Amino acid sequence: MKQLKIIFFFCLLVMIVSGWINDGFKPHPLKLIVPKGWPAPIYDFKTNPLTQEGFDLGKKLFYDGRLSRDGKFSCGSCHQQFAAFTTMDHSLSHGFNNALTTRNAPALQNLAWQKTFMADGGITHLDLQPLAPITAENEMAETIENVINKLKSDKDYRKLFKAAFGNDTINTQRMGKALSQFMVLLVSSNSKYDRVMRGEDQFILPERLGYEIFNKKCINCHPAPFFTDFNFRNVGLAVDDVLNDLGRMRVTRQSKDSLLFKVPSLRNVAVTAPYGHDGRFFSLINVFEHYRKNMVLGPTTDSLLKNRMPLTNYEIGQLRAFLNTLTDSAFLRDSRFSESGGNNKPPTNHVH
Amino acid sequence: MNKQSVYSVICLFVMFILFSGYILPQKKIKLQFHHFAGAKPLVLGDTIVNPFGEKLVVERFKYYLSNFILTDLSGKKESIPNSYFLVDEADSASKTIELNTSLKKIIAIEFMIGIDSIKNCSGIQTGVLDPMKAMFWTWNTGYVFAKLEGQSSASKSAAHRFTYHVGGFKEGENAIKKIRLALTEQNQPIHVSADINSWFNSRHPIKISESPVCHAPGPLALQLADNYSNMFSILPK
Repeated sequence: MKQLKIIFFFCLLVMIVSGWINDGFKPHPLKLIVPKGWPAPIYDFKTNPLTQEGFDLGKKLFYDGRLSRDGKFSCGSCHQQFAAFTTMDHSLSHGFNNALTTRNAPALQNLAWQKTFMADGGITHLDLQPLAPITAENEMAETIENVINKLKSDKDYRKLFKAAFGNDTINTQRMGKALSQFMVLLVSSNSKYDRVMRGEDQFILPERLGYEIFNKKCINCHPAPFFTDFNFRNVGLAVDDVLNDLGRMRVTRQSKDSLLFKVPSLRNVAVTAPYGHDGRFFSLINVFEHYRKNMVLGPTTDSLLKNRMPLTNYEIGQLRAFLNTLTDSAFLRDSRFSESGGNNKPPTNHVH
Repeated sequence: MNKQSVYSVICLFVMFILFSGYILPQKKIKLQFHHFAGAKPLVLGDTIVNPFGEKLVVERFKYYLSNFILTDLSGKKESIPNSYFLVDEADSASKTIELNTSLKKIIAIEFMIGIDSIKNCSGIQTGVLDPMKAMFWTWNTGYVFAKLEGQSSASKSAAHRFTYHVGGFKEGENAIKKIRLALTEQNQPIHVSADINSWFNSRHPIKISESPVCHAPGPLALQLADNYSNMFSILPK
């Protein structure tokens, strides 16, 4: 009887102690607040619950040059916040050893709602996306193994991984998850357009007229709330004979996908110049000229653009006024996302 | 029920939970892989000749095996959960695989060469499936199922290299191969041979001089996968 009692209490003790050890890990949960009227995010938060600690780690990784071979290129060096996380004023970005990328850096915003990544949709999960620029010879040019080893040898990272994931195991999966935690919170939903839609502001006349023209001519491929339908389309950009980029066909190998590229979001379009998958258009005026005059029509040209897109100078003026209302200055300046903005307050989404 | 029996019941229950993993009958099946180029054992760095008379030096040979299913004498099948292995000629430990099973007399072993689409589609994996193993296409999401690469004077590619990276899990480019090996005896370990000559000349003749490079899913990857699906056989003891 006495022995049984001892065994029983020993078992109980083991269970209590093991429970107590696990309880030491208490990260602070964060929530992605879905703006009113937006669909549910596609990103699976069940396998990667958002926490303040995970976000902080992701942000440190995002701005850490050690993710590249020579230490010079962080994610943030080509994805600058003030340019909606594109590369300001660069058709193509600079990578390792003076190499150029082959495509224009895309804006990083509202990524939790994207199913595929890259202009050709080749990457199918946000966690996997950073591995492409990290390993590309003309971008960060590093091996995943080296990156993980660099992180493992850093005491701060061991602490941060432990805070985010419960122990100091550092692996590719955790690095990807942490980067995703930072990236999914890059939500842009507070432009003037959004305020107008919420009834908090009003368009001035050219903006309103531009909005009406937009709804007639642009909305099929650039529908709200993301201002892209995330589809792949050929909008008549002639093949560059150096890049020879066939777009979606690179991934599907089907000729019907030749020269199709993902429709970019127009949110923050005023600060994401240059435009086009290879950044060949330096201003919005170039883009409008392309659509009304310079489009190259071919067998895979989008059916909505078989006759190009007639636009008058008047329409172009009003459209530009409307497109400027898609600039979300709160997002572009949000200190939670900036390299130096190191306040320790939990991020809160500005959703009204 | 008196106090004593309550304690003993709880005690037994707790101990059962704690030790159930050890109590259930488990047997270990050990597979040992041996790599060949025709009749000769494959040695990385040695010059060999393929079935078309092309000279080559193999520098890298590795492949994923996954989703093992065992069948016993009565026809009962058991899927081995989480069975993912990366067999690498350069890493002798990786050439021995152990599977836990409750089956007794195993008469067949089934597995995939490659990785199922679920693991291809659900973010970053760990262990042998970590993209750090350099068996993953970062630009076009998906695992490289098998790699055979090296140098050959027959190759017209840069530095006379040949690089066969085979993968693809989507419809139309699915290079996953299901293999079934029948066992006639129960000796352990089970010795399995893999002959790289199958890569070149099996269902499709693939010459290094004509196709030295495969770096993406597609027709050549499918042909190579067809070919290497014949590379395994059980070695007689």
